[in-house]
Amino acid sequence: MVPVQWYLLLAAAVFCIGLFGILTRQNALLFLMSVELMLNAANINLVAFSAYWGNVTGQTFSLFTMALAAAEVAVGIGIILVLYRNFDDIDVTLAKEMRW
Amino acid sequence: MTTKPSLRTGSHLLPGLAAVALFVVMAAAILQGTFGDPQGFGADAAITASIGYAMFNLDMGAIPGEGMLVAFIVIAVALDAALDGAILLAKREKDGSAVALLADGGRQVHDRIRGDADADADVDADGGDR
Repeated sequence: MVPVQWYLLLAAAVFCIGLFGILTRQNALLFLMSVELMLNAANINLVAFSAYWGNVTGQTFSLFTMALAAAEVAVGIGIILVLYRNFDDIDVTLAKEMRW
Repeated sequence: MTTKPSLRTGSHLLPGLAAVALFVVMAAAILQGTFGDPQGFGADAAITASIGYAMFNLDMGAIPGEGMLVAFIVIAVALDAALDGAILLAKREKDGSAVALLADGGRQVHDRIRGDADADADVDADGGDR
């Protein structure tokens, strides 16, 4: 069996790629993709430790995380639509005011 | 003619160094840690069935797991709320015009900061209904 360290290393890499995207990009769609990467890194950890302990709790919980990611994307796409209607762009740095 | 995406390099990538540094720290911590051999599920274990049983608090699975019925309900409610929120945000009138959360894109505040008095002349006192 693959040692759990390699799964953790993969998850850390995926998480940091997502973080890199969030820190360096301005496009709201790329933001959403980066957040998805970070969520999936957490899923890798859950599934890896599920196999490590021989217990299905981690895998079950990762299913819920996927459902939560779907909900987040649904709301995120809606927010991006409103951002585009208001600013004619989906650059997240344009929306600086809480209220206008 | 087709175009291909190109990676824009420059100083805007500098904050990304924090992510790279975080990866180095995490990798060092993970590789220095000691983990035992993983137990695994066994060759003929019914993993999918066990997940299904755990999801509904049924104690019938071959592989142990906690009951997740409350989490299941909470996620169901969250998905429902997200669906409603997405519809609310993307709502349009019958004629196709957008109605939800439409504003002037901060132009009013922007003009006020710049001291452009003419820009406020056509805006209602209450900010209008845009």
